[in-house]
Amino acid sequence: MHFLTLTQVNFHYPKLSRMALENINLEIEQKSITAIIGPNGSGKTTLGKVMIGILQATGGKVLLQGEPVSEMSLAQIGRRIGYVFQNPDLQLFCATVAEEIGFGLVNQGWEPARVKEKVDFCLEFFQLAEYRHVFPLLLSQGEKQRVAIASVLVAENEFVILDEPTIGLDAYRKKILAGYLRKIASIGRGMVLISHDMGFVEHLADRVIQLEKGRIVGDSERKGRNGYDT
Amino acid sequence: MTLDPRTKMVIVICLSTLALIYNSAGELLPLLLVTLLLLLLFRIDISSVWVYLKRFLQLMLVVFIIQCIFTRGGEVLLSLGSTALVSSQGLLAGASLVLRIIVIISAALIFTTFSSRDFILGLVQWKIPYELAFMVTIAMRFLPLFRDEFVNVVTAIQLRGVELKQVSWGRKIDLFRSLLFPVVFGALLKAQQLAVAMESRGFRAYPRRTYLRRLDFIWIDYAVMLIFITITLMLIISY
Ligand SMILES: Nc1ncnc2c1ncn2[C@@H]1O[C@H](COP(=O)(O)OP(=O)(O)OP(=O)(O)O)[C@@H](O)[C@H]1O
Ligand SMILES: [Mg+2]
Repeated sequence: MHFLTLTQVNFHYPKLSRMALENINLEIEQKSITAIIGPNGSGKTTLGKVMIGILQATGGKVLLQGEPVSEMSLAQIGRRIGYVFQNPDLQLFCATVAEEIGFGLVNQGWEPARVKEKVDFCLEFFQLAEYRHVFPLLLSQGEKQRVAIASVLVAENEFVILDEPTIGLDAYRKKILAGYLRKIASIGRGMVLISHDMGFVEHLADRVIQLEKGRIVGDSERKGRNGYDT
Repeated sequence: MTLDPRTKMVIVICLSTLALIYNSAGELLPLLLVTLLLLLLFRIDISSVWVYLKRFLQLMLVVFIIQCIFTRGGEVLLSLGSTALVSSQGLLAGASLVLRIIVIISAALIFTTFSSRDFILGLVQWKIPYELAFMVTIAMRFLPLFRDEFVNVVTAIQLRGVELKQVSWGRKIDLFRSLLFPVVFGALLKAQQLAVAMESRGFRAYPRRTYLRRLDFIWIDYAVMLIFITITLMLIISY
């Protein structure tokens, strides 16, 4: 069974005169890195939000391992798929960086000692240790982005969707992030990467899906190192 | 009839004050008629009242039912076995509360006949500082944003695996209390950024602003305002 299956999915925003997504058919495997690329306004973020049920498709079906997403609660989906928003301001809501990263674990009933261990590791890995007690929204753009990513990856979901994860990151931090993503992919945790950053995507993705004006215009599996094969 | 926005403001305040003071359907019904008449005078389509009322229908129904059940006295109109459910007094109390909501909503429709820009202009000409007047209108515009902010946070929390519908009320209150500070602080931070962005684009660059248009408070405004304030005060005193 596919991890995510989208059949004939449409999405329409009430105030937008055209369709934001039109006739999307897509199957995504769990153990793979799928990239979604496309120009501004092509519907990448909308597609990501439809996949995990933040937005309900206005037509068609979205299945998560055979179950319709529309019948699951956000929390049920959230425990299986991690989601990093395009704008980190939208997902940071705790009083300190450490609380932010530990929030999901605490609320899923982890023991305090294990939470601390895990949070410490993440703070260290994403080079955020010195900001442990800082209010997240005061951090620099790239730091906020890393907190947002860390607070989602820390939960070790079987699958994650990252919307523009490299925005605001410098070259060095991008490399660290790429390394981490490759590592979790190698132990069987899949992901969807929504990104403009072709350089970043090219090194990671097994499959690249191209969107334009709400439609899929390209879908290529990567074969070997020398390019794509449709 | 084109009145000054400030005059219209005063009219709305008079009507809603009376609506809050009056208690019985016998008083509220004439008030509603007067309000609707005014709407006609201001050339507001009465059917638009219904469009706005529709949004409050559920609220009004709940309020009505609660009032019906919890106000006792008068004849019993509906009973379940030996316990009285609805009494004539309850029915009247429910009806008057609903009437009150309808009056306030209809009166507020008068606001739709002038722009927020005119409103600022009016306040400024009454020597209220422009920044303050501007803040009031910005606040009115930003309220929906606060709601969006709240929706975002609730979505983000659920996506991190918290089943908000299932956690106990104690836990829920705990959660919201711990969120209050970051959410309010975050909103203030954004407001501050907005203020800086506005000033850097020239807002408040000069101590005095000049205006293209002047609102003229003419005799009819004074007359209308005087009449409304006097009648309202008299009604309140004699009540
Ligand atoms: N809430 C909304 N209401 C109306 N239209 C919207 C809304 N959100 C997005 N849109 C529109 O839907 C289209 C797709 O938006 P989306 O955010 O999915 O694009 P994107 O591919 O993620 O773009 P970007 O590269 O800028 O992140 C755009 O034309 C956008 O203007
Ligand atoms: Mg986007």
